[in-house]
Order: sequence, then C-alpha cells, then structure tokens
Amino acid sequence: MTPPIIHARGLTRHYRRGSETVKALDGVDLDVHAGEMVSILGPSGSGKTTLINLISCLDAPTGGTLEVAGRSVGGLSEDELVEVRRGVLGFVFQQFHLLPTLTVTENVELPLTFLGLRPDPRRTREILGMVGLTARADHRPQELSGGEMQRVAIARALLIEPRILVADEPTGNLDKKTGASIFALFKKLAAEKGLTIIITTHNTAFGYEADRVITLEDGKIVREERTA
Amino acid sequence: MDTHYEKDVFPLPRFIALAVKNLRRRLVRTGLTVAGVALAVGVAVSLGGFMLGYRGAIDKSIEMLGFQVMIMAKGCPYEAATMMLKGGTGLLYLPEETFKKVQGDPDIESLTPVFVGVAQKAGSGIRDSEVGNAFSIISGIESKTFLVMRPWLAFKKGPGYDGGRWFAPASKDEVVMGYEAAEYEQRKVGDTLYASITPAGEPNPVLHQFKVVGVLERTGTQDDGTVFMPISTAQDYFKRPGQLTIIGIKLKQFNAVKLRDFEARWLKLPEVQVVGLQQVKNTLVGLVATAQTMIAAVAVIAVVVALIGVINTILMSVYERTGEIGIMKALGARRGDIFQLIWLETLMICLAGGILGSAMAALGAGAVETGIKSLANMGVSGSIVRITPAVIGGAVLGAAILGFFGGLYPAWRAASMRPVEAIREGGVA
Repeated sequence: MTPPIIHARGLTRHYRRGSETVKALDGVDLDVHAGEMVSILGPSGSGKTTLINLISCLDAPTGGTLEVAGRSVGGLSEDELVEVRRGVLGFVFQQFHLLPTLTVTENVELPLTFLGLRPDPRRTREILGMVGLTARADHRPQELSGGEMQRVAIARALLIEPRILVADEPTGNLDKKTGASIFALFKKLAAEKGLTIIITTHNTAFGYEADRVITLEDGKIVREERTA
Repeated sequence: MDTHYEKDVFPLPRFIALAVKNLRRRLVRTGLTVAGVALAVGVAVSLGGFMLGYRGAIDKSIEMLGFQVMIMAKGCPYEAATMMLKGGTGLLYLPEETFKKVQGDPDIESLTPVFVGVAQKAGSGIRDSEVGNAFSIISGIESKTFLVMRPWLAFKKGPGYDGGRWFAPASKDEVVMGYEAAEYEQRKVGDTLYASITPAGEPNPVLHQFKVVGVLERTGTQDDGTVFMPISTAQDYFKRPGQLTIIGIKLKQFNAVKLRDFEARWLKLPEVQVVGLQQVKNTLVGLVATAQTMIAAVAVIAVVVALIGVINTILMSVYERTGEIGIMKALGARRGDIFQLIWLETLMICLAGGILGSAMAALGAGAVETGIKSLANMGVSGSIVRITPAVIGGAVLGAAILGFFGGLYPAWRAASMRPVEAIREGGVA
C-alpha cells in the first residue's frame, strides 16, 4: 500500500488568548491517501478550519507530527511552509478571494505568476471548460454569480495541477442548489483526475458525498465514517 | 512539482501588469497621489531649471558684455551689477578724466566709455503701468572702441533695413536702434525717432528728433532694447558734459591675480569702484540665492508631503487588500513576491508623478519665466528657466528614488502578513 499523502499523528494547535490556552486542535491522528475525497464536519469552533490550515501548510502545528506529500512540516518557518505548498496544494475558500481588476482568465492564471511559470492558454481554456466557465473567460468577478466565482476559484486551484485540493467551507456563501453543483464538481474531479480533495463543511448532506467523513468536536476527531 | 508549464525566466512584466491593475482599482485615489508627486516634482524641476537657466543667462549676459572689468562711480554693487547687464541709469557719474587716467594702464588691451541715460518716448503716458514701455534706454557710446568689445554686433538686413551703418562720431541726430527697440517702435532705417530727454537739473524734458541709421540684429542681450547714439551727443542732451556711466575694460591677461593688481591700482582713485566679471556674477547669484533657497525649501516640503501621501495610499491599499495578499501567499507567493508587487506599485506612482511633473514643468517653463520676471528684475536678458534633459532625467530619477524608499515600509508590511490571519481578516469578492 502506498504511504498516505497526508499523515498526521497527535496533531495539536494551541493558541494563547490572554492567560488562557485555547486548544483549537488537540491530538488529531489522520491519514489521507492519494485520490481520496474526505469531508470534515463539525460545528463552529470544532477545529475544522484549524485542521485544514495545518494540512494546507498555511499554519504550523504547535505539537505532533505532520507530513504533507512526503515532507515533514513540523517546526517549519512560514517561508519553508510556502515552499511545501507551492504547486502541491490548491485552495478554495468560503470567500472566493478573486482579484476584482483581473478577468476570469487572469484570476485563474494568477498562481503561475508566483510559481514562475508561463500560462498556457490552451490549458487555461481546458480548465475553464472543466468548471463550465468557457463563456465567462473575459468577464470580471463582479459580473459573475456566487457559484461562478467559486468555480473560478476552483479553476484557479486546479490550474497548477496540485496533488491535494483543500476547500474550506466552499459552499458556505452559496445557495443549496449551487452548493450541490460545486460538490458534484469536486466528485467529478476526484473521480476523473484522481485528485486528493479535503473539504470542510457545515452541510452534512454535502459532507456525505465524500468517500470518507470525519467529524470533529472540541478539536478532536469524534467519528470517522466511510460512505462508499 | 510536475507540470507541463514552461518556466518564466523573466516574470517581472507580469508583476508590473499586476501592479498596474491594482493601481487602477482606485483610480481617483491613485490619480490624486500621482498628482501630489507630480506637483512636488514640477516645483523641483522648475526650480532646477531656474537655477540652471539663471546661471546660464548670467554667463551669457556677461560674455556678451564683451568686457571683463568695468570701472564706475562708487556706489551700490548690486546697482552696478544690474546696470551692467540690464541697462539703467547710475545716480553717480565718473569724470571723463578717469577714462584718460585708466587708458594708460599697461594691462589694458582695450577700453570703451559708456554713458547711459533714460529717455521718455514721445507720446507715451507716464502712468505706473506703462512705465516699462514708456522709457527707452539711451546708450552713448564711442562706436569704434565699443565695437572692439562687441564685434558680433551686426546690422539687420532685409527690406527697410538694408544699408544700416553706425552714426558719425559727432552726429547730433543719428541713432542706431537695438532689435527690440526698433521692433517696438516700428522703426526702420531712414525713419525718424522722437525721444524726450530731461537735461540734468531741469524740470522739463526736451523733445529731440533722430534719424535711424541702422537697426541691429537680435543679440539676446540688453543691447536689443537700447538706442545707441554718440557719447558726446548723449552727454550733451542729458546735460552731463564730461561725465561717464561706466568704462568697459578688456585686460590683456584676465585672471584673479591680474584683476587684483588692476583693482589695487585704480581703487586708489577716490571716485571709482572696479567691478570684475566674477564679482558681478556672484552679486547677481547672491541676489536670488535667498529666494532660491526658500523655493528649494518649499520644494523639499512638497516632496516630503508627497512621499507621505504615497506611503499612506499604498498602506491603505495594503490594508484593504489583506485578504487578497493572504490568498496570494496561499497560492504560492513568497514574501519576496508580495514585497516586489507592493514596492512596484509605489515605484510606479512615483515614476508616473515624476514624468507628469517634469512634463508639466517643461511645458510651463515659459509661464514660470514670465511669472518670475514679472515679480522681480533678474538683472539679465534672455531665458532664465532652462529645463534640460538632464534636469528632467534627474527629477525622474529622484522620483524613482523616492518610490524606492517610500515603498519599503508598505511592502515590508504586506510581505510580513501571515496568510492564515490575512485570509481571515480580509474579505474580497
């Protein structure tokens, strides 16, 4: 069996708030294998976003061990974490975070600027076609619906051909129907491209669309279920 | 990372394009900031052009005098300096004997006596507003020695001007007009010129009629506005026989030692002062140095205020784009990428301001010159504001240096943002 693409043992993230220590994540063990689609469920404050931030190398753990795509990220500085996530991790956030002055195409190609790569128009068109935005390529974000903006964010994450796609509450700002279409898109990507997808969501129905569902409470995993 | 994208070996243009798009997001704010920088740079360029142009004008005016030293009656050196270059009447006069005494000096190569007076133009008003146009500078000269000093003086050619010549040495009714004087009075060779001259000690002017025997080519000096006549005639009409305004002198060898020796010899005369070329230059530079220092101080303040404006604008933009900066970092931007992006934005604002300000200053140089000349007598003829490519290049470079330093703090702030916090705090589309 191939080693997991994400391997966490005793993963901890504590914060200091005045004299109090907040245990946002408290000793989580987690393995995610390549090509898996995993949902993380839980109420607000359960530690979903903290876990996903650690897995995404956007934040550093205060305890435990974490390996992402074969690299140990424990104790790395912010600059070192950037190097781990460059080209390995793709991100989709609840807020779409598109640059308003850039067109859809330019937004999608933005990560390449930071990775020192030349855009390939054919590849960009292909990705936009995959998320159903070919006709919107030259539009600006303010001309798009919420669902379309989230699709742009997904295309932006996919363009760099990441090994892991991390989505934090991707349907949080969308209506139920649009949210369902976004989840359907994730399922299609996981099936067709063998992409590892980790999603946090409040929506239990959407969460159970994944291969595996992990439920967090008070910074700990309380339940882990396989759906298929 | 395993992709089929080509490596971008020169990504700077893409960062520049991104920075331009960011700046266009708040066009009014960016525009106002650029305008602030442009204003400061415009003031600095105008000042630089004035400093350069004024010194150049002094140099040219002194060179076009044709002599290196002048002897005149003791008095205010400022008055001496401006009179020498701009024309005007001295309150004090030299006795003609001084000329004779000086003439024998072994270091002198050539010398010429000059009597300067002011005539009222016939039919002109004497209202204050017309004063500038109502009087003519009359220069009584000895054409033979005067031309040794200014060999470049030539007569204007063309219909109505051909046949120009210098007046006969003792003529009482012949004059030669400078280019502008003739232009203003609309006189050509053979025309009549009327001038009212008030003899010394008399209350009323006397109207004289002259024949214009020559009109000079433009020289770009005070000669253009002067009416020349024989020195004896001028002394006679102004009722100052045997009196001179200045004696222009060219030395065989002109250097500091020779000038000092020459001065030492002639300062013994109680009635004279010896004014050297360098001294005149220093006097005139000194006259405007204080004003230039004050304008420079204003320019420095304007530049500092503009710089604060730029930093403020970029910082506001950084704070507004906190979420965006966070997402860029999440997408793989390194600290250096964010730093470069924000720093480029600052640099662009300053460069745009620098270019715009320089262009404004270059286009408005004429207006600045007219303004300065209307405010004060600068004591020189010709252009006093000279905006050269070097001045503009210096200003644009200065603006770039401002941008370089001004962008450091906002760029550092943006680059130091932690992605998790930035994404949490900021929110964009």
